[in-house]
Amino acid sequence: MQSREPDGVPAVTHRKPMLVANWSPQRLAVTVLLAALGLVLLFAPAYLGTYWLRVFSMIFMYASLAQALNLIAGFAGYPAFGNVVFFGIGAYSVATVMIRGGSFLLGLAVALTVCIGIALMLGPPLLRLRGHYFAIATVALNELIKQIVNNLTVTGGGMGLSIPLPPGTPLESARTFYYLLLGSMFVAILLGALFKYSRLGLAACAIRDDEVKAEAMGLRTTAIKTMAWSASAGLTGAVGGIYAYWFSYVDPPTVFDMVIAVKAYVMFLFGGAATVFGPILGAFVIEYASTVLWSNLLEYHVGALGLSIILIVLYMPDGLLRFFRQRFKLATAKLGPQR
Amino acid sequence: MLFVQALVTGVLLGGLYALMGMAFSLLWGVMNIINLAHGSMIVTGAYVAFVLNQRLGIDPVLTLPFSATVLFVFGYVLQRHVINRVVQRNIFLTLLLTFGVDMMLINFNTVMFTADVRSINTWYSGSSFDLGGVRIAHTRLLVFVLALLLTLALHQFLKNSRTGRAIRATAQDPKAASVLGVNVPHVYAVTFGLSAAIAGAAGSLLAIVYAFAPGSGAAFTLKSFVIVILGGLGNVYGVVLSGIFLGVCENLVSSFGHPGYRDAVSFGLLLLILVLRPTGFFGKRSYAVSRA
Repeated sequence: MQSREPDGVPAVTHRKPMLVANWSPQRLAVTVLLAALGLVLLFAPAYLGTYWLRVFSMIFMYASLAQALNLIAGFAGYPAFGNVVFFGIGAYSVATVMIRGGSFLLGLAVALTVCIGIALMLGPPLLRLRGHYFAIATVALNELIKQIVNNLTVTGGGMGLSIPLPPGTPLESARTFYYLLLGSMFVAILLGALFKYSRLGLAACAIRDDEVKAEAMGLRTTAIKTMAWSASAGLTGAVGGIYAYWFSYVDPPTVFDMVIAVKAYVMFLFGGAATVFGPILGAFVIEYASTVLWSNLLEYHVGALGLSIILIVLYMPDGLLRFFRQRFKLATAKLGPQR
Repeated sequence: MLFVQALVTGVLLGGLYALMGMAFSLLWGVMNIINLAHGSMIVTGAYVAFVLNQRLGIDPVLTLPFSATVLFVFGYVLQRHVINRVVQRNIFLTLLLTFGVDMMLINFNTVMFTADVRSINTWYSGSSFDLGGVRIAHTRLLVFVLALLLTLALHQFLKNSRTGRAIRATAQDPKAASVLGVNVPHVYAVTFGLSAAIAGAAGSLLAIVYAFAPGSGAAFTLKSFVIVILGGLGNVYGVVLSGIFLGVCENLVSSFGHPGYRDAVSFGLLLLILVLRPTGFFGKRSYAVSRA
């Protein structure tokens, strides 16, 4: 039997140089479409009011979070259910730095360092755990850090921290955050592509499909898993940092909220796990729907979100992107069995 | 003396924790499901007790069968018609699914009973007795004894009854069990119903000694997980001991350390155990670490 990449693409295609001339017409069309969409998003703020800027910024934020989760959960198969812990740590890093007069960029650098550092430190012991155990370990990590932040004076305890407002008019600052989060989404897509088309990503997929075999093949599984988790942590932390500056207020229940992680989780699963654009697509669909539809439901919106999670799990567990690909045969890939 | 007091209170609290842990480990052991809605089911049981107590004046202890029945039906239907469709497929999916159920339960409880913190007062709520200088509240002792009785009853049921044997057979090998005439989807549904019923009963007991709100479930889910990991999956005595151990730890920390870190204890403990000894202290087997 031919060795297969999880998507079902024969592993050999990886060796082919990625020349545009070799691309299928479908692939070319999709690429042009995506580039056009990117350009539209780049120039859209000139025509958008603060409300839509905010909606789109939120979508970009969740797209980045979903892609970050995809790196560890989609590619490497480790369900980091409590990954929101890095969102909270990133947010608090920026808040504590800025409240002491530091710049936003310094805060962001601190957020990145702290999050990646924690993932590098905790990765080797925690990533030994499989399945549920790893999932719950990350949830416990989140709750533990939340409790500690809740009780420390440096972090303002349960009162939270108020950060100085960004300069400029509301419209200007809305545009700033639009571009910041668009940038983070761009980085997220790059990271996703890096995982899809690099040896590291391939190794991560091998670990997901059979860790024992991957190790027997000579892959340094612990190092690979830790790298995937660190990339995920760094991206999540940076987005959390931007969020803190954007909302100019952080408190433990908001930034360590499990619902953020679960939404990101649903988005990447809904869009398509272990794909480059799946999590982005999932974020656009779900966050848009949540803004437009669920804002009309008010007191039932938590339940409505819960219900839609259940329906997605039952009826579209393989994700939107694969669903479309199957329909339109966009990709040359045949679908392998999904785990 | 304060130390002994904290110790005793912790032990009494631990009985309830053990019961929660038993219900949680039943699902985990039989279907490999981590039920993230476990805590919310407990809280729903507490609300059933609350409503019966407020409207009809029934003593919370006597509401136990009602909350257990309500939750049993809920659990059975949920498993039979929803979770059975994805069970054994992918742990991502069952985690997400039960989280969705959790959100719906929280929303339901919030809409029905508001987000206010509730508690039940009975005529014996404030009373306590003195045992060699240690004050023991009647309610806590009552809850401890009832919780332990229920835990042992569940254990006996699983061990000796016909349904219990079917459940254990299915846990070992669903295919072999179905060849031998066990209706596996039904047994799965009964298992979930049973676990939910115990959660509901634990909720009734919880309402006697604790205040609760729609959102207080998450902490119980995590604590149940800690207890099961600490005690070892499928080990009843381990679960009882670790429930008591967790209760004692929490009480010692809130008495002598910082009360704000009370819940942090269980989470820190959980991380520590997972890193140091993923099979728990009394564990027979473990799915935790992939490599032998």
